[in-house]
Amino acid sequence: MYLNNVLDMSISDELRHLEMYLVDEFQKGRKVADLYELVQYAGNIVPRLYLLITVGVVYIKSNELSRRDILKDLVEMCRGVQHPLRGLFLRNYLLQCTKNVLPDNTEEASGGENESGNVQDSVDFIQLNFAEMNKLWVRMQHQGHSRDRERREQERRELRILVGTNLVRLSQLECIDMERFKKNVLPGVLEQVVNCKDPISQEYLMECIIQVFPDDFHLQSLNSFLRACADLHPNVNVKNIIIALIDRLANFSQNEEGSGIPSDIQLFDIFSQQIAQVIQNRPDMSPEDIVSLQVALMNLALKCYPEKVDYVDKVLETTEDIFNRLNLDHLEHGTAVSKELMRLMKIPIDTYNSILSVLELQHFGPMFEYFDFKGRRIMSCYIINNILENETNIPTQEQVDLVLNIVNCLVQDQNDQPEEADDPDDFAEEQGLMGRFIHLLHSDDPNQQFLILNIARKHFGSGGDQRIKYTLPPIVFAAFRLANRYADLKEQDENWKKKCQKIFQFCHQTIGALIKAEQAEIPLRLFLQGAVTAGSIEFENHETVAYEFMSQAFSIYEEEISDSKAQLAAITLIIGTLEQMRCFGEENHEPLRTKCALAASKLLKKPDQCRGVSICSHLFWSGKSSDQDDEMKDGKRVSDCLKKGLKIANQCMDSSVQVQLFVELLNNYIYFYEKGCDQIPIQVLNQIISKIQEHLPNLEANEETDQINKHFKNTVEHLQTMKFAKDCKVSFEGLTIE
Amino acid sequence: MLVLVLGDLHIPHRCNSVPSRFKKLLVPGKIQHILCTGNLCTKESFDYLKTLASDVHVVRGDFDENMNYPEQKVVTVGQFRIGLCHGHQVVPWGDNESLAMVQRQLDVDILISGHTHKFEAFEHEGKFYINPGSASGAYNALDSNVVPSFVILDIQQSTVVAYVYKLLNDDVKVERIEYRKC
Amino acid sequence: MSFFGFGQSAEVDIILDGQDSRKTAEIKTEDGKKERYYLYFDGETVSGKVNVTLKKPGSKLEHQGIKIEFIGQIELYYDRGNHHEFTSLVKELARPGELVQNTSYNFEFQQVEKPYESYTGANVRLRYFLRVTIVKRLSDVVKEQDIIVHTLSHYPEMNNSIKMEVGIEDCLHIEFEYNKSKYHLKDVIVGKIYFLLVRIKIRYMELAIVRREITGAGPNTFNENETIAKYEIMDGAPVRGESIPIRLFLSGYELTPTMRDINKKFSVRYYLNLVLVDEEERRYFKQQEITIFRRSDKNRKTYQATAHHPTRERKPDPEPEPEENSVDTEK
Repeated sequence: MYLNNVLDMSISDELRHLEMYLVDEFQKGRKVADLYELVQYAGNIVPRLYLLITVGVVYIKSNELSRRDILKDLVEMCRGVQHPLRGLFLRNYLLQCTKNVLPDNTEEASGGENESGNVQDSVDFIQLNFAEMNKLWVRMQHQGHSRDRERREQERRELRILVGTNLVRLSQLECIDMERFKKNVLPGVLEQVVNCKDPISQEYLMECIIQVFPDDFHLQSLNSFLRACADLHPNVNVKNIIIALIDRLANFSQNEEGSGIPSDIQLFDIFSQQIAQVIQNRPDMSPEDIVSLQVALMNLALKCYPEKVDYVDKVLETTEDIFNRLNLDHLEHGTAVSKELMRLMKIPIDTYNSILSVLELQHFGPMFEYFDFKGRRIMSCYIINNILENETNIPTQEQVDLVLNIVNCLVQDQNDQPEEADDPDDFAEEQGLMGRFIHLLHSDDPNQQFLILNIARKHFGSGGDQRIKYTLPPIVFAAFRLANRYADLKEQDENWKKKCQKIFQFCHQTIGALIKAEQAEIPLRLFLQGAVTAGSIEFENHETVAYEFMSQAFSIYEEEISDSKAQLAAITLIIGTLEQMRCFGEENHEPLRTKCALAASKLLKKPDQCRGVSICSHLFWSGKSSDQDDEMKDGKRVSDCLKKGLKIANQCMDSSVQVQLFVELLNNYIYFYEKGCDQIPIQVLNQIISKIQEHLPNLEANEETDQINKHFKNTVEHLQTMKFAKDCKVSFEGLTIE
Repeated sequence: MLVLVLGDLHIPHRCNSVPSRFKKLLVPGKIQHILCTGNLCTKESFDYLKTLASDVHVVRGDFDENMNYPEQKVVTVGQFRIGLCHGHQVVPWGDNESLAMVQRQLDVDILISGHTHKFEAFEHEGKFYINPGSASGAYNALDSNVVPSFVILDIQQSTVVAYVYKLLNDDVKVERIEYRKC
Repeated sequence: MSFFGFGQSAEVDIILDGQDSRKTAEIKTEDGKKERYYLYFDGETVSGKVNVTLKKPGSKLEHQGIKIEFIGQIELYYDRGNHHEFTSLVKELARPGELVQNTSYNFEFQQVEKPYESYTGANVRLRYFLRVTIVKRLSDVVKEQDIIVHTLSHYPEMNNSIKMEVGIEDCLHIEFEYNKSKYHLKDVIVGKIYFLLVRIKIRYMELAIVRREITGAGPNTFNENETIAKYEIMDGAPVRGESIPIRLFLSGYELTPTMRDINKKFSVRYYLNLVLVDEEERRYFKQQEITIFRRSDKNRKTYQATAHHPTRERKPDPEPEPEENSVDTEK
C-alpha cells in the first residue's frame, strides 16, 4: 500500500517530465494528435493509460481538438483499470493532471471542433471520475479474506482522500453557482453516494460534501441532502453527518454578520422533519443516536433562532414522544442514552443561563422523569449550580413551585433512591447548594416573597430530618429579612404589623420543625436571632414575640444541651444576645437576666461557672430594659456577679486555672472600674493583684504559665497607662502596682 | 506579605455566596495567609478559601458546626502577633474595652474579630484592632444595612497596611489604613 | 552470370517507368527479412525498359531471343517444385541474334490484371515479378524483378457491428461489441465489453488479433495461427455492470487484407480473440472473425489520377459467418 503510493508518486514525476517534453515537441510543430494515437499502441493497459493522460493534457493545451472530447475520452478509457488500487491511483493522476485545464465558463456549447467546453463538461467529467473511483474504493471492501477486514478498512480510510478530491475539484469550479449546484452537481453526487451502499464511503463522502461546499449552497439544498441521509446504509452513523451539517450551519448563522439564515428557509422545520424521517427509516437506530440528533437540532434552534422558545420545546416534545414510543424509562445513569439526554437537557440551561427561560419550556420538566435517580440528581445539581452561578432570582411562587418540582430529588426522598446512605460529605455539599439556592427565591414584592417562602417551606419541609437542617435555616433567615422589609415599608402597607406577626409565627413553626428533627444548636441560635430581629421591629406584640423566642432558646438550652462546653457556649451567646436587646420591659427583662445568671452559676465546671457569672455582670451594667431611658448601671449586681466569680475561682483546685481566672476577673474588675462602677473599690483591684503576684511564682514553669504571666503583665501595663494617663475619667489613686 | 482577613460568610444560612465582584478580586496565588473570623458554616466555604491560599486559619463562629475550629488563635506573621477571635463570646459584642481584654490575654499586636458584620479598624493603646465585617454582607438582626467587606493586610517589617474592600451599590471601594508597631 | 567463366556475358537491369514518383512498399521475405519494392495496383500498366549491358565490351553476345515475362505466382513452401502461376504474360524483346553493344528495350504490359495481393506467410507466398530472359544455348541469362501488389477495396456498403452475448452458465456472462465487422488496415477497432455476470476473479483481459493462414485442401489442409497483436484492455477484476472500452489502432500491426481462397490455394483470415485470465491463470476466450481490407486512400487516388489508369477496386470479402454463443476455455 505504502509502496504503491511511492511508486505512484515517482511515476507521476516521470510523467510530468514527459509532459514537459511533449509540450516542447508540440511547440516545435509536432502534432499531438499523432502522439495521442501513438501512445495507445502500448500493449499494457496501466502504462498506456498513464501515457494517454499525460499526452491528453498536452493535447488539451494544444487546442487541436475539443477539450470536452479529450476529457471525456480520458475518463472513459480509464475504465479499463478495474484493479481498485491501481485504478484509484490512475484516476487520481487523471484528476491531478487535469486540475488546471478543466473548462470553467458558462458559454453555451457551440458544437465546434475546437470548442473548449464549459463548466458542465467539467462537472460531467468529475462526476464520472468520482463515480468510478468510488466504485473502485468500495470494491476494496469486498476483496480478500474476511479476516483481513479490519486492515482493509484501515487501508480504505487511508485512501479516502483520493475519492474526496473529486468533490474538492467540483467545489473549486467557480462557475458552479447555486442553481447549477442544486440541479447538476449535488443530485449526481448524492445519487452515487446513496447507491454505492457502502457505509465507509457514505459516511466519508457525506461529510466531505458538507465540508467542501459553501454553507449557502447547503442552505439551499438541505432537503435533498437530508433525504439522501435517510437513505443511507443502516451502518452509517447518519447522526454524525447530520450533526456536522447542523453545526456548520449553526456556526454559519452566527458568523455571517447580520444576515444569518435567509428567512425563506425554514431551517429548523426542514431539519426537524428530515431527522424524523431518518429516525423512522432506521428502526435499529440506538436511542442515544436519536437523542444526539435532537441535541444537534436543539443547538440549531438555539443558535439560529435564539428567540424561538417553542422550537426548543418542540425538540423536547419530540424526544419525549420517541422515548414513549420506545418505552424508555428510568434511563440508567452512565449509559450512552442517559449521557446524551443529559447533554440535550443541559443545552437550554447553558444557553439561556436563566432558569426562568428554561421554565418556559413545557416539556423540560417532564423529561426529568426519564432519568434514574442518579441522573435526576446530577441534572438537578446542574440546574441549581446554574442558578447560583448566574444569581438568577426566581420571583414568583409558581416558578418556585416549578423549579422545586423539577429538582425534587434534591428536596425530598425518592421512591427509586438507593438503599445505602449517601456519602455524608457529598450529601452536605448538595444540600448546601440547596441552602444557597433558597436565597435566590426572591421577589421585590414582599407579599409575593411571603408566598414564595411558604411554598418553599412546604417543599423543603418534607425533606426529612437530614435535609431540613440545611434548608430550613436559610428559609428562616429569608423570613427575618422579609420582616425587616415590611418594617421598612410601614408607610406603604398598613397591614405590615400583622404580616410581621405572621412571619414570626412562620419562623417559630419552622424552627420548631428543626427541633422535632432533634436539632438543638441551630434552633437555639435561630430563636436568638429571631428574638433580636423581632425586638428591633416595632410591631405590636414584638416584645411578646421576642420573649417567646428567648424563652424557647432557654428551653432548648435546658432540655437539649447537655455537653458542658456546648452549655458554656450557649449561655454565653444567650447573655451576649440579651445584653444587646432593648425591647424588653422590666417585667420581661428581669426574669431573663436572672435566668441567665442562674444558668451561668449552674454550669458544671467551676471555671465555666466563673466565666459565666463574669459575663453576666454585663447584663446588669450595659443591659437595658425598655422602661428605663438609660442602661441599667446596677453596680451592686455587677459587683455581686464578680464577687461570685472570685468565690468560685477560689474554689478551683487547679492553681494554674485559678490564677488564670484571677487575671481574667482582674480584667473584668478593671473594666467596670474604668466605667465608673462605684461598687468596685480600688482595694479590690489591689487584693486581686497581690493574690496573683502571690500565686504566680509558684506555678509550674510551662507555656501555660508563660501565657498567664504575659496576660497579667499586659494587664498591669494597661493599669499603669491608665494610672498615669492625664485624661482618664476615673482615678486610679491607691492602686498598688510597681 | 499579603494576608486576607475575612469572615462571617454565613453561607448558606443567610446568603447564597460571596459577591462576584469580590470573587473576581480574590484570585489564587496572590495571598500568603488567610485569617478567617469564622461563620464559614460549611466545608465548601472553607474549601473555597483553600483555593486562594494554602495557609488558612479559622476560629469558630456562633454558626459554625465544625467543632474543630478553636475559639481563639494566635498567628505570627513577620514581626506581628495576630490574635483571631470571632467575637460573639466577647460581651458586649464589639465593645472596645472587652476586646482589649482579649488582646491582653492573647498578648497580640493585632486583634482581629468579627461577628458584628461591620468593618472596623482602629488603634487602641498602641494595639491594632480589625473587624473585617462580613465578606458576604450576611444578614445581621441588629443592623439592616450590612455592607459586604473584607480586608487585605500588607505586612512589611513593623508596618501593616490594611486595605479595606467594601461593596457599595455594586461598586468595590478600597480604603487604606496604616499601622506601625511601636 | 557465367557458368564457365568464358564467353560473353551480360548484365540485365529492369528500369520501371516513373520510378522517381512511384511508391514502394515493404514485404517480408521467406526468412523474415524485409524488402522494399515498387508498388502496383490491379489493372495498372507495368512498363519500363530493359537495359542489357555487355560485360566484355567489343565481344559479341549470341542469343536465341530476349523476352520479358510478368508473372504472378503462388509458392507453397511444402511443395517447392510447383509454383502456381496465376498470371503469366510474355513480351518478346528481341529476335534471336547477336548483341555487339549495350542495348535497351522498352516494354509495356498494359493494364495488367493483378487479382491478388502480394503476401508472404508461414507456408505460402504470393509474389509478382518481371523476368527477363536472354535465351542462350548453354545457359540463359535471367533477371527477375519483384514488384508488390496491393489490392484495394471500396469501403464496404454493409459493415455491421459484431455484437454478442456469451457466457458460461453461473460463472461469466459478457456482452461484447466491436463497432464493425470489416476494418481497413489503418482502422481502429472500437468496442466495449459489458459484464453481465462475474463469478470468477479476473486478473486481466486482453484482445488478441490472430491471423490464420490456411493452405492446401482436403486432408492436406494446413492451418497456421499467428498472434499478431496482444493488447491488454482491462486490469483487475470487474464487477457486474462494468463496461470496459476497447480501442485498438490497427496501423501499429503488420496486417494484410483478409484473403479468402486465393486461387484455391490458400486463405488468410483474421480473428479478434477476447481473452480473460483469472487468478488461477485459467483463460476464457471468444474468437470472432473480422475482415481486413485495404482502403483506397486519398493519396492513392491522386497517384492514380496522374497515372491515367484507373485501378480496379473490389468489394472486401463477404461477412464472416456468425458463430455460436459460447466462450471457450483452454485446458
